[in-house]
Amino acid sequence: MAHPLSVTIVVGVVAGLAVSGACILALRRRISDDVYHAAFRRWRSWCWLVGVIFLPVLAGALPTMLAVMVLSLLCFREYARATGLFREKTICAVVSLGILLVAFAAVDHWQDDRLFFALGPLVGALIVVVSIPSDRPRGFIQRVALGVLGFALLGFSLGYISNMANVVHLGETHTDYRPLVLLLITAVELNDMIASLINRTLGRRPFLPETSPQKTWAGAIGAVVITTALVTAAGGWLFAGTPVAHPGWLVGLGLLTSVLGQLGELTLSSIKRDVGVKDVGATLPGHGGLLDRFDGLVLVPPAVYHYLSLALGEAGPLGSEAPFRILTGSWGG
Amino acid sequence: MDNWDLTPARDLTLAGADRHRSYQRESGLLATASRFAWWSMMRLSLAVLHRLEVHGRTNLPESPSFVLVANHASHLDAMVLGATLPLRFRDQLFPLAAGDVFFHTPALAAFSATVLNALPVWRKKVGAHAIQQLRSRLIDEPSVYILFPEGGRTRDGSMRPFKSGIGMMTAGTDVPVVPCHLEGTFEAFPAESYIPRLHKVIVRIGQPRTFEHLENRRPGWDEVSGLLESDVKALAEN
Repeated sequence: MAHPLSVTIVVGVVAGLAVSGACILALRRRISDDVYHAAFRRWRSWCWLVGVIFLPVLAGALPTMLAVMVLSLLCFREYARATGLFREKTICAVVSLGILLVAFAAVDHWQDDRLFFALGPLVGALIVVVSIPSDRPRGFIQRVALGVLGFALLGFSLGYISNMANVVHLGETHTDYRPLVLLLITAVELNDMIASLINRTLGRRPFLPETSPQKTWAGAIGAVVITTALVTAAGGWLFAGTPVAHPGWLVGLGLLTSVLGQLGELTLSSIKRDVGVKDVGATLPGHGGLLDRFDGLVLVPPAVYHYLSLALGEAGPLGSEAPFRILTGSWGG
Repeated sequence: MDNWDLTPARDLTLAGADRHRSYQRESGLLATASRFAWWSMMRLSLAVLHRLEVHGRTNLPESPSFVLVANHASHLDAMVLGATLPLRFRDQLFPLAAGDVFFHTPALAAFSATVLNALPVWRKKVGAHAIQQLRSRLIDEPSVYILFPEGGRTRDGSMRPFKSGIGMMTAGTDVPVVPCHLEGTFEAFPAESYIPRLHKVIVRIGQPRTFEHLENRRPGWDEVSGLLESDVKALAEN
């Protein structure tokens, strides 16, 4: 039986897509062809994205982890092409291997998630080591730093979503990872949309004009307020009966999601301004690259994972209570 | 320490078939791995199934950029020429392939770009701009082009006159052009055939030429194609 929050999120998002699609059609004759086609392309990309994200999450833990792995690889590809790191094939191979290992560590919960947590420093060290034999000290720091940053943000950090999907014990109430993962992804995307809407309608004072000229203080604060309220309400439902259900913990979870979501977007904006590109790819018509769409997610998963582990206390930490070894089929714990 | 030099991929804003058909395309890890597997397999299959024999390998320049030109009888030709080169050139090797054949559909374009690293030549609408882009790439970055100046595969086994495109790419540059002659590919995989036959293939590689003394204009282009055509014919008679 699906958790009611999962059902609510899926129904809400699908209804939102249906309503926005109907609005675009209704405005067809009142807006120019260019605006209509741009809005339609963007809406169509959203439909694809929702399907590609929600279906694996609803299908099960393994499809979720594989989808996160593919997302990590595709986002890293865009990052590497935008920064020029793609020309360093050995470093890219190590980061890709690291992403595959992160997925494996989550899927099989190898050594009770010790492998997962070890992969951060190990892959970082491996990137340093494989950069030495090329005997090119000029630009060494730059290559290594780009590789480590790419793995940290797009391999290790996004990999936490996979690790969350291996959570089978959220307190005493239920054992389903779906509402948590759906809440996290939806909250981060909503956070971005709310900020964007407020920036365009009420925004006056630029927030960080050199980094992201369109972001305003009003958008940033408005997104924090609304996203925190939504996450607090949804979290109260999801974590009922656990220590996280305390208002203090719930508001903290909402703040963490919104603030780190916006910082994730600003991280990618900084990277894009540094390399002088508008978008990191052209995969999604109307959006740019996949990373342009999922930039808000790059900092949130690890923070939420460890925050909930701390808040759950003896009922947690996440992922180590009774994890399932999908590949080898035995229960850990 | 130098300033940071972050240069995005030239084809960053392109996606799908547009990217695969672009002369600005740059390759990543997956394409490199695919090409390593493809050219390894090609070298093995040509050695085993076609008993590939290469004469004059020492005439090949040690490093890119350079151009290989040859007579054209078969789809095997580019594979044979590519297989004579060291595997380390796999990401710098660009067979120039007919756009209307190898880049017609998105799937074919993806294969031709990712695995073969081919660049499209649109035979019915090849413009000066496209040739100029190919020429710039050859000069600006290490590249090896495989080009068949006849403009298409022979239908009767005889060599046709060379077109001037090779001259437009190389006249007035110091990029070496290596004439090659292919023997046996017409019998092994002629234009009308769908399945290659087991037939011996021989490649003769001639002395490279450079055309920096020629003007990048029509008379220079014609002289380049004429000289290379006679070189390939001379190799055929050896």
